[in-house]
Amino acid sequence: MLLPEPLEETSYKMKNEAAYWIALAHLPRWGYGKINSLIVKFFHDEKITIEDFFNLPESVWSCKYQLDLKEISDLQNAKSELPNNAFFAENLLSQGYELIPITSPEYSKTLKQNLKAAHSPALLYVKGNKQILHEKSIAIVGSRAAEGKSLEFTDNIAKLASKDFKVVVSGFAKGVDKQALDSAIKYKGQSIIVLPQGITTFNSGFKTYYKQIVDGDVLVLSTFHPKAVWSAGLAMARNPIIYALADEIFVAESSEKGGTWSGVIDGLKKGRKIFVREAEPNEKNANTLLIQKGAIAVDNNGIENSNATYSEQSISTPLVHESLVSLENVNERILKVFNGRPLSAKEILDKAGLDWTTKKLTTLLQRMEDIQTVKKGRTNQFILKANQVDQPTLFG
Amino acid sequence: MMTRHEQEKKLKQTFGIEMFYDDQWETIDRILKGERVLLIEKTGFGKSLCFQYPATVLQGTTVIFSPLIALMRDQVKKLNSLGISAKCINSEQTPEENTQIIADAKNGKVKILYIAPERQENSEWIEAAREMNLSMVVIDEAHCISVWGHDFRPAFRRIINLVKLLPSGLPVLATTATATKKVETDVASQIGGNISVLRGNLLRENFKLYVVKVTTEDEKLIWLGQHLDKLEGTGILYTGTRVDTEIYSKWFEHLKLSTIGYNAGLDTDSRIAIENGLMSNKWKCVISTNALGMGIDKPDIRFIIHTQIPQSPIHYYQEIGRAGRDGKPSNIILFYNPEDRKLPEAFIEGGRPSISKYEKVLNATRNELLGEKELMRKTNLKQTQLRVIKSDLIEQGIIREITDGRSKKFEYITNAPALNTKAFEELRNNKKADWEQMIRYVETSQSRMKFLCDFLGDSTTHNFTNCDNTGLNKITVTPNDQWQQKLQDFREDYFPNLAVEARGSNIVNGVAASYYGFSNVGTALHRSKYETKEDFPDFLLKLFLKAYHKKFGQEKFDFIAYVPPTSSGDLVKNFATKLSQVLRIPITHDLVKTRQTKEQKVFENGYLKSDNVSGAFTFNNPDSVAGKSILLVDDIFDSGATIKELGKLFTTFGAIKIAPIVIARTVGGDIV
Repeated sequence: MLLPEPLEETSYKMKNEAAYWIALAHLPRWGYGKINSLIVKFFHDEKITIEDFFNLPESVWSCKYQLDLKEISDLQNAKSELPNNAFFAENLLSQGYELIPITSPEYSKTLKQNLKAAHSPALLYVKGNKQILHEKSIAIVGSRAAEGKSLEFTDNIAKLASKDFKVVVSGFAKGVDKQALDSAIKYKGQSIIVLPQGITTFNSGFKTYYKQIVDGDVLVLSTFHPKAVWSAGLAMARNPIIYALADEIFVAESSEKGGTWSGVIDGLKKGRKIFVREAEPNEKNANTLLIQKGAIAVDNNGIENSNATYSEQSISTPLVHESLVSLENVNERILKVFNGRPLSAKEILDKAGLDWTTKKLTTLLQRMEDIQTVKKGRTNQFILKANQVDQPTLFG
Repeated sequence: MMTRHEQEKKLKQTFGIEMFYDDQWETIDRILKGERVLLIEKTGFGKSLCFQYPATVLQGTTVIFSPLIALMRDQVKKLNSLGISAKCINSEQTPEENTQIIADAKNGKVKILYIAPERQENSEWIEAAREMNLSMVVIDEAHCISVWGHDFRPAFRRIINLVKLLPSGLPVLATTATATKKVETDVASQIGGNISVLRGNLLRENFKLYVVKVTTEDEKLIWLGQHLDKLEGTGILYTGTRVDTEIYSKWFEHLKLSTIGYNAGLDTDSRIAIENGLMSNKWKCVISTNALGMGIDKPDIRFIIHTQIPQSPIHYYQEIGRAGRDGKPSNIILFYNPEDRKLPEAFIEGGRPSISKYEKVLNATRNELLGEKELMRKTNLKQTQLRVIKSDLIEQGIIREITDGRSKKFEYITNAPALNTKAFEELRNNKKADWEQMIRYVETSQSRMKFLCDFLGDSTTHNFTNCDNTGLNKITVTPNDQWQQKLQDFREDYFPNLAVEARGSNIVNGVAASYYGFSNVGTALHRSKYETKEDFPDFLLKLFLKAYHKKFGQEKFDFIAYVPPTSSGDLVKNFATKLSQVLRIPITHDLVKTRQTKEQKVFENGYLKSDNVSGAFTFNNPDSVAGKSILLVDDIFDSGATIKELGKLFTTFGAIKIAPIVIARTVGGDIV
């Protein structure tokens, strides 16, 4: 027949569910956390499709899903717009945009691991080579006004990453972002452009990167409503997505405020390992300050500077070679050992088969977002945070 | 939920109809329950009521996708006369009218909205659809969804994509009068969502089916000349090509029969005027390509005649289905000359361009985002061929058509599959098999109606007596000298028009002495140009003079100019010189080329032909042109690009009239 190769059943099904996903993902004033906990309930716990969920009677929404009147009315409104969403979705799909809901195997695992249920967007809008979402990745971030050393650094890191078949994630702003993208293209690497706007408002970009998109080297991604136009707010909201899509984060240049700064601080808080270019003494930026706050100093080739005295980090690895992925693996191993009761650091070490010191593990555990510390007599014990327990499929 | 009885009360109030047929009720009942239905019923069954009635009961607006503008207009008029607010959005209305209707629909002021499937590509419509309160979606002529049908339309692809995205519980109705089992299965599976298929019987007992076997084109013209006026009532004559439409209309005009020609190339006003005239029986017969008649709700079309055998029984059934909706006897006549096999066979065999042409398009789209015009320039492909290729590549998921502002562009899809040529083979084999069945329809000695029903998957044991194999007399043609002479007179008095008039140019529409392939004109031209290199034979000059006198005999010309040659030497110059001597109009040799051009025939499309000749000519004595009328002579008229270019040139030098005249005009597909 003339039909293309049959789509994988799940992806085919999700395509037909597009109107429902648009309805759910853009519920007014529902945060990602709230939306995701609903998805976990119907998709993972009840094992029903989003279509089935929307077709449930209000009584079930209220009893089984514990939704209040306001929430039910929000859902009813969203439901009444499903036919309209269908028209909208058909247009999006026909223009080559694709929708990836959080329940899809195509959704970036890195993104989900980094943002967890509380912060993962329920729906991604993309165009280009979706396979890129499953490759190893680095983000290069920095100021819009960066020049000289910072752009040189960006170019170098993009070159090393491209050589290493790592995807360069960037935000399509001026300065470092643009350099990261251009360099990745120059070195025949792959790139994800994370938009600070809705995906349908990026027409000129799609023209500029037409060839790279066709060749599978660029993926454009947006987490916002497809029609949303650029705003400073969206640009800020976009930054955590960039960080979360990457296994490793490199900072070329940051001032003491603004998107890069708050993004790095946020990342450090979440326990991400962030590499910052070590500034020369005469540079006027906040790179050194970030390093003092826990980021790792690296030289122009992304190699960790062993002379760095201000680094508080005890885990040090040469960058582009051993990445955060190994640390993420440790995280995963740790999360798997819990079976509902609190464990001591020693017990965790045994169960996870790690040959670390308890002090090193304790430091990590205290930084892990999913782990809660509980006092047991005079020693610290650790347990998975409540909302993490029931989502092994989506956010395992 | 209301009972059937209660619904029928409402039906009486709103539509003035007493009751539903059982099949109608079954459809409507399912629709009102929010289900999806594919309804296959013959023309005249009352399919439209199956969505019009629920539309009036349901909350919100029902959207009907229909490819037939005439039908939309017609149904909207009827609904409005019943006091139901119905509108249609189509390309025949002004953008302002369409915008107003869209606004009304958004505000809930329209109960039933008809739109063409192409509208799904329009951003204004998509925006509006996001805000409308939709109650149901209807796909009329749903066989257009299937590539296995007789009238696959790419615009329906997006409608299918839309339907797949619609939420469960929103009713969807697809209707058609013509679907084989294969098409039925395909359409049902594409719409999906637990669709139920309701199929009625397709036989039409009131048809009188005839096949008239002839051996020449003349026999068709003569039989029709003799009998057209004797057929009961008014009807439609379908020809295979636009040129044939023109020839048959001119022939009937010559015989002073009341007929009119119709084709899709006419402007909107003329088309509407002809459709209205058809409705009011203004002419004995409308002559048309198959562009006319689908969806026209005229109950008493008394005859349908085909001068060219269609490609398959399903095409044929669809086209004759328009006759006799009132159930009264109607004559269905098919002419068949074994020579006529060429057109459908060429269409089936040559229907697909070569693989290398597909590759040209693939390479071009891989590197750049291009529109149709840019693709034609890059690939030197004919528009028709490019469209076939585009449609196939879209179907196979290799490229997609996107809208870029107001224009359409073609985008290569990331990770696209390789071109699957097997799919083409399969389609071609399917078409071949259908075509063989069409020949079997002509050759069968059994009931023709039963043959058609069987083909459509409507097995029936009914005993038919309604064709020339089962009780009706066969039609035979008896040409005689008197009619041969009439035909001869007609041929010598009939000259094709050259439509070249354009704003900003003083060129007027011209004339050709003949079509290239009509009688022996093309052969004679070809021999002189490429074999003997000797002057065009005198009979061409005689024919040419006849055309001149008929078209321009009353007009004065200051001089004759001829198109300078590319490669065929002085043939046109010598011909124009003879002409100048006979007509006593001075000839000028000052029209020359400023650069070498290529032969126009190497270019496959109009854009490249225009590029080839653009700015390629000048006139050596420009001052002598101002205020003059010029007769412009050439041998063959193909795209008209050269003639139009020269019209512009002479206009800029101040000529007040440029009248083109050529020996032969090609018809699409002529090998010159």
